[in-house]
Amino acid sequence: MNPVDKVSEITLMNTEMFIVLSPILLLSFGIVLSLLLIAWQRSQKIIALFSQLILVFTLLLSMHLLSSGILSGAGVQITPLLKVDQFSYLSLSLICLSALAVISLSKQVLKSQVEVHDEYYLLILLVILGAAILVASDHFASMFLGFELLSISLVGLVGYFREQKYAVETGFKYLILSACASSFMLLGIAFIYSQTGNLSFAINSATAPWHSAPLQLFNSIGVLLLFSGIAFKLSLAPFHFWAPDVYQGAPTPITLLMATVSKIAMFTVLMKCCFAQGYYQNDHFIDVIIAVALLSMFIGNTLALKQQNIKRLMAYSSIAHFGYLLIVLVISAEQSIGFAWRSALFYLTAYLLANVAIFSIVITYEQYFSQNSTEREVCLNDWQAMFWQHRAQAVLLVFSILSLAGIPLTMGFVGKFYLFNQAVISQSWWLITGLVIGSGIGLAYYLPIIFTVFKVNSSAATHITKDNAIKAPKIFIIFLIIISFYFGVFPDSLSQYLL
Amino acid sequence: MTVIPLTHILILSSLLFIIGFVGVVVRRNTLFMLMSLEVMLNAVGIAFIGAGSVWQEADGQIMFMLILTLAAAEVAVGLALLIRMQRRYRTLDIDVLNQMKG
Repeated sequence: MNPVDKVSEITLMNTEMFIVLSPILLLSFGIVLSLLLIAWQRSQKIIALFSQLILVFTLLLSMHLLSSGILSGAGVQITPLLKVDQFSYLSLSLICLSALAVISLSKQVLKSQVEVHDEYYLLILLVILGAAILVASDHFASMFLGFELLSISLVGLVGYFREQKYAVETGFKYLILSACASSFMLLGIAFIYSQTGNLSFAINSATAPWHSAPLQLFNSIGVLLLFSGIAFKLSLAPFHFWAPDVYQGAPTPITLLMATVSKIAMFTVLMKCCFAQGYYQNDHFIDVIIAVALLSMFIGNTLALKQQNIKRLMAYSSIAHFGYLLIVLVISAEQSIGFAWRSALFYLTAYLLANVAIFSIVITYEQYFSQNSTEREVCLNDWQAMFWQHRAQAVLLVFSILSLAGIPLTMGFVGKFYLFNQAVISQSWWLITGLVIGSGIGLAYYLPIIFTVFKVNSSAATHITKDNAIKAPKIFIIFLIIISFYFGVFPDSLSQYLL
Repeated sequence: MTVIPLTHILILSSLLFIIGFVGVVVRRNTLFMLMSLEVMLNAVGIAFIGAGSVWQEADGQIMFMLILTLAAAEVAVGLALLIRMQRRYRTLDIDVLNQMKG
């Protein structure tokens, strides 16, 4: 094949590729349109509605592509940069779902402000676009672009309410740390590139660099640096210091965005990269993964024990959860990749639903505080006697907490069961021990939340009586309860879909 | 023409990267922290260009252009935050940003 042929073969985009890529194209086109919309008329209602529409259509398109069967098998390669398979669109659907939740929750928060917040919605859409590029990427360059699109828009969102007490501090911490993380990741990519001469994920593992000794050092350092960059964004243990502060200081819908969208996208790209490059064959890399996973489980769970602030508690709990999730990267053979993807996506779905539920309740309480002009954060004690005042909310909260703790008949249990299974198959006994002990410690801070919810009112508790309560959207709550119950009792109905 | 070995380029870029990282960690002034971040990113750029020239490909240089774009965007956001900080605290010292505890 002469070079000209090669070039034309690479650059050609046929109709099938356009169809497969359509959710991402739609998303980017929607962003351009919403910019035009802002120029035409500045109205918060219209822009919120419009971004929700874009997300719904993206979601529907990716669901349609998933069910049409185009993506089954190895996936579709779209130029060297992107490769789309069913798993990437499954995570894209998860991302769109949580973005929809974020936008509808933001509408409540932004209502109390005077300005027109159109750039807020635009930034959320850009975060989603970054996440979509990440989950579809098959090349270090596209991964880098998605990574940066996601993190820089997030910095803008984290410091968005600039008059708030912690806005500058949180924004700056997040900016410096995420910039450090991306430069670590970039240095890793540069080292890998210098040894392999290839920026694509999919290299032939027979010529993989760890088979030739002299290349070993820089390549291993490169892989480590790349992993540490991603671990920063996933807030895994040695790189977790930013998480509690940023979770606490960011506006609550944005905290939800960080906890779900950014982490799901990062984890998907991490799995894609590890499986395509075949890092699971490398014993040293697996050792690093196991160490990081154990450390995250331990640190996340123990630091959450004494936490009173709900947002900080969720930060620590997410550190532990992503420690558990790292189990899927430790696989023994290529055959188990499919199972690893399925268990990871199931676990992520459970994590997503629980997070959306808990953060929406946190937002309801924050709204109540800001109406009564006592700007403060939601603490565990504020939830006292919630069950006796707001049944639906309390039931939802109990469900999500049980799901996070991994009690049977919830999605979280099924997810943990898959992870356990995965660890048994790959015979990593350390990880099983960590998972069991970690979940045990986890109960020690999940159960008190449930006790608090049922506690009968004492004098110190905040009284949110029926008449002055913020109306949380009832349908939303009931929908979440039903979904999390249904998938917990019949996990097959979801995992079948993941096949 | 003498060819510079790849290892030397990588060591140079690692050194520059470490200098930048130490700058981010040690400096208390936020403006200098942003500048140290630039040093880190440009160190990576050297590694990419060196590697690209060894493999005789344009990939490394294109990655460097992407990095330049990133650096510009990051600094834009960073400077905006810097202005907010100056307005609010009347200082650029990073130590004033330690109100969150727990």
